[in-house]
Amino acid sequence: METFSIIFAIFLGGAVLTYFAGKLSSVVQDILFLATVLVPTYLFFSGVSIGSSMPFSLEGISLLWGVNHFGWLFSLIVLGLGSLAAVYSVGYMKGKERRGYFYLNFVLSVMSMLGIVISQDLISFFIFWEIMTWSSYLMVIYSGNDVQRIGIKYFVFSAIGAYAMLMAIVIVHSVTHTFFIEDMIQAYGQMSLQLQIWIPILFLLAFAVKAAMMPLHVWAPGAYSNAPMAYTSLFSGALSKMGVYGMVIILVTMVNRLPQGILFREVLAWLGGITAAMGTLWAIKQDDAKKLLAYSSVAQLGYIIVGVSIGTELAMMAGLFLAVMHALFKGTLFMVVGAIEKQTGTTNFTEVTGLIRKMPWTFFAALMGIIALAGIPPLGGFIGKWMLYESLITSDHYLLVILIFFSSTAAFLYCYKFLFGFFLGQEEKEWAHVKEAPATMVVPMVLMGIFMVVLGTFPGIVLNPINNGLMDLGYVDSYKHLWETSIIFNSWGDHVILQPILYSIMGIFIFFLIFVLWKGYKGTRYVTTKDISSSGEVPKEDENLTFSVGFMQPFMRAVAPVMRRQMDKYYTGFANGLEGLFDFVRRIYTGNAQTYAVYVVVFIVIVLLFKDVLF
Amino acid sequence: MVGTPVLFVAIPLLAAFLIPLLGMIWKELVRIVPGLVLIYLMVLSVNLLNHVLVNGPIVEVIAGWAPPFGINLVFSAFSGFLVTLMVFLGLIVWIYSYRFKRNVGFEPAKKYFLLLMMLVTGAVGIVLTGDIFNMFVFIEITGISGYALTAFYTGRDSAEASFKYLMLGSIASTLLLLAIMILYSQLGTLNMAEIATKIHTVKPAYKVISLILFITALGIEAEIFPLNGWAPDAYAEAPGPVGAAFAGIVVKASVYAIIRYIYTIFDISGAYDFLIIIGMVTLIIAEFAAIRQEKLKRMLAYSSIGQMGLVLVAFGFGTKEGVFAALFLMLNHAIIKSLLFLSGSYLVYNSKDKTIAEVNGMHKFLPITSFLFALGAFAIVGLPPFAGFWSKLSVLTAAADSHMLFVMSLILMVSVVELVYYLRVVNRIYFFKKEESVEAKKPTFNALIAMLVLGALILVIGFYPDVITGVIHKASADLMDKTKYINDVLSIKQ
Repeated sequence: METFSIIFAIFLGGAVLTYFAGKLSSVVQDILFLATVLVPTYLFFSGVSIGSSMPFSLEGISLLWGVNHFGWLFSLIVLGLGSLAAVYSVGYMKGKERRGYFYLNFVLSVMSMLGIVISQDLISFFIFWEIMTWSSYLMVIYSGNDVQRIGIKYFVFSAIGAYAMLMAIVIVHSVTHTFFIEDMIQAYGQMSLQLQIWIPILFLLAFAVKAAMMPLHVWAPGAYSNAPMAYTSLFSGALSKMGVYGMVIILVTMVNRLPQGILFREVLAWLGGITAAMGTLWAIKQDDAKKLLAYSSVAQLGYIIVGVSIGTELAMMAGLFLAVMHALFKGTLFMVVGAIEKQTGTTNFTEVTGLIRKMPWTFFAALMGIIALAGIPPLGGFIGKWMLYESLITSDHYLLVILIFFSSTAAFLYCYKFLFGFFLGQEEKEWAHVKEAPATMVVPMVLMGIFMVVLGTFPGIVLNPINNGLMDLGYVDSYKHLWETSIIFNSWGDHVILQPILYSIMGIFIFFLIFVLWKGYKGTRYVTTKDISSSGEVPKEDENLTFSVGFMQPFMRAVAPVMRRQMDKYYTGFANGLEGLFDFVRRIYTGNAQTYAVYVVVFIVIVLLFKDVLF
Repeated sequence: MVGTPVLFVAIPLLAAFLIPLLGMIWKELVRIVPGLVLIYLMVLSVNLLNHVLVNGPIVEVIAGWAPPFGINLVFSAFSGFLVTLMVFLGLIVWIYSYRFKRNVGFEPAKKYFLLLMMLVTGAVGIVLTGDIFNMFVFIEITGISGYALTAFYTGRDSAEASFKYLMLGSIASTLLLLAIMILYSQLGTLNMAEIATKIHTVKPAYKVISLILFITALGIEAEIFPLNGWAPDAYAEAPGPVGAAFAGIVVKASVYAIIRYIYTIFDISGAYDFLIIIGMVTLIIAEFAAIRQEKLKRMLAYSSIGQMGLVLVAFGFGTKEGVFAALFLMLNHAIIKSLLFLSGSYLVYNSKDKTIAEVNGMHKFLPITSFLFALGAFAIVGLPPFAGFWSKLSVLTAAADSHMLFVMSLILMVSVVELVYYLRVVNRIYFFKKEESVEAKKPTFNALIAMLVLGALILVIGFYPDVITGVIHKASADLMDKTKYINDVLSIKQ
């Protein structure tokens, strides 16, 4: 397949050209950048058919690139979100410094993610995985804030994961003598039980790091909020999905074949559930929209992990559907935050309020994103959540259902905070000058909002490819008749009739809308922050009276005991201990020539003493 | 035939002696002649290597005395590969320092280039010779020029570093001579091939003790822990290109010597495991020490020591994959670490203490140098798609094939440590505010060329490793085939 070579040549060449085009003019750079992302996207979806492959060899290792249904599904996320985020980036990066650097790493990230999903052998998979890691690392440190802590934490966790994966890869190679994923899957059945257990663990370690699963998630909040928002939408939307992609492959092809009694799936599902719950709690606590969304990403990935690790067909579908939805709504929400950051200069709820009239389109996108995130019909998030609950109940995971239900209910709190904090509430004079974001930023957001609405009504658009992908991985298709025409008005899942549920929820919603509008129309009085009665005290000028300050205090007080233990502290303690050890080792080199001479003598003596053991 | 292996020793040695005389004719010749010599040797070594890869090794007999009586030079795929690598690095160092040393005046420049020629002579001689006493002589030549180059900046610190190097170097010579004496007293021959055929007749105690002495002596030069006390000081105090030459040429030659003893001359199987043990200890200690360093070149020195430890581990697997991995690693390390030393020494050019903190924000003033340093850092920690990845992959594959899972996991854990300290420096270059007191020094044109060549090589090998792996495969097959080496040398009659 020549198209593959052309696509990757365009990505690589375009990335380098875009970098240097900044010296000419910024318009040329923008156009080159867009072309570098959009042309390969077009080529991929028009020129590459499912089932095509390209074998070649490098350093005596035979490699294979190809597209199957499952990879195609994820390439949809990568390239779809990649293209929209690219358009958005052009607006977002206008007037910022280091544009060439941003564009280069953006293109490399998209390229490496596409490479991951088309890799049919472990070596190219690993190469693209590492390129993805360092290009995203370079984006995390883009702003230059706290690079030594946040950036290195991200890279160290990624590297630990990647090296675990590399270890698994070479172990597999020493058994099978090939690097093809296909051969690994086939040989897996004949391996010893010890290897059968360790290989999935090593692989899952790598994927769990990227999917920000507890307790390996500590890099995520810092990294997500530190990267430029135009990239974070891709980072959280698509890059974290690479972890899910790998997890699904390993779970389906390996863990499914493990003997009964090894509680792989249970452990993973519970970790996912805990991730969801804790991520949600931490998200509620945040006052910064970037941090809030970062924790929310961690939480949402928790749901996805629960879905794919339960592993029944319905759960798998729920997980993957949520993955697509998460790419859409979290991509949108990060774009929204980026737009607000660009227009107002801050992303703190306690500072910005009342933007609904100033940025109506951004509000629309945010609203769609929030509805989808919270899992309220009629948007796609509801479908995914519903399937997830149903799959958990049908597979007898009642405790997990409670945990998931708790966290998705608690998620309403931060959803509300996000929407209300930024867009509703009193309008402050300080933000009177704010205007709507430029069209290049608004159009991708609104488009994604529309996609979410469409997917909510016609989930079959995504469920069908997911179904094909799962069949590729060896699932027996038992729901086919439902996905083909699946829209929400059908009865599906375990033959649950969704229609009445949908209608009653919409009915309640419309009733309340009318009620609120009617009430509001009668007694509207515009107030500002200072327009309050406070027991005769006049608030000081510099006092922050925005309603978002201490928004969820009673709730946070209630859950404080759960949140007291932070994984981060343990890791920091461990790292400090290591630094102490390194310092001790450094002191072995005293700088004194006599000591060094003594070392030589000691070395000879020790080796002579143990010569019978050694030689 | 375009030339014979003896030219590799004769020409640079001759040039080294002629340099002071030529300097009397025209001062610029001091700078030009070494370059011409190295270019000639480069052409010669590439030609010979091509010849050897097709037609088998060339055994050169000196002064008409056939082995085992005379000294012979062996240019095989294995030694040829290393010679080519060393001459190439010598050439890079020459390009880099052509104008680098112009400011220092004529006298120091004369000494510098003279010593560089001696260093190349010695290192190449170590690799080519087929005689253990001759190897001792070459090790001395390398060592002496190394001591002098360390003290090039005639300051207090460089004198101290040089003294440490000299002191440990003399211990090494003594031990080496002792080891040679033991072997000679038992076998009555100094020819490597001859010793290899007779080594089974030596009593085990003598054999083991002489091996231990050999490893200790050569381990001092090859920076094995705990014998490598001299190395961090020497690297830190010597000029940047000399650091590159140490990492790329001197240490490689010493590692070659160890490998030649263990693979060809001795028949002690426990030596392989011993290599893994000392290699791992060296790797771990060096990388741990590197992370807490305050001076840039010291950090690079420890990293270099660690990489050499990894090379020894890979040799210790004793399989064909292991040797391949080790040679690949040596090649990549020579290229990448040289690039790091060359670019790093510009990053701290004007700073007084050469600390890591003083590279802050240098990218605005030295964009290309900073970029190349970052490239080198990414490559040496083994991130794809750069050169270092392939060698790291082959080391790990070799480890897995030898069922050394514990060793493998240790290597990977240490790699994380390595990653951290390199990234910290790169982050400083790009994201920290520059110190006011430090003034950036623009690299000279020729230094830039030298660094760009190395940078390009990293990318070429990274994207298309096949350019070099064919040669390395043949070189590793050549080292593994002990009987062929013995036959090739001993069948020469003259």
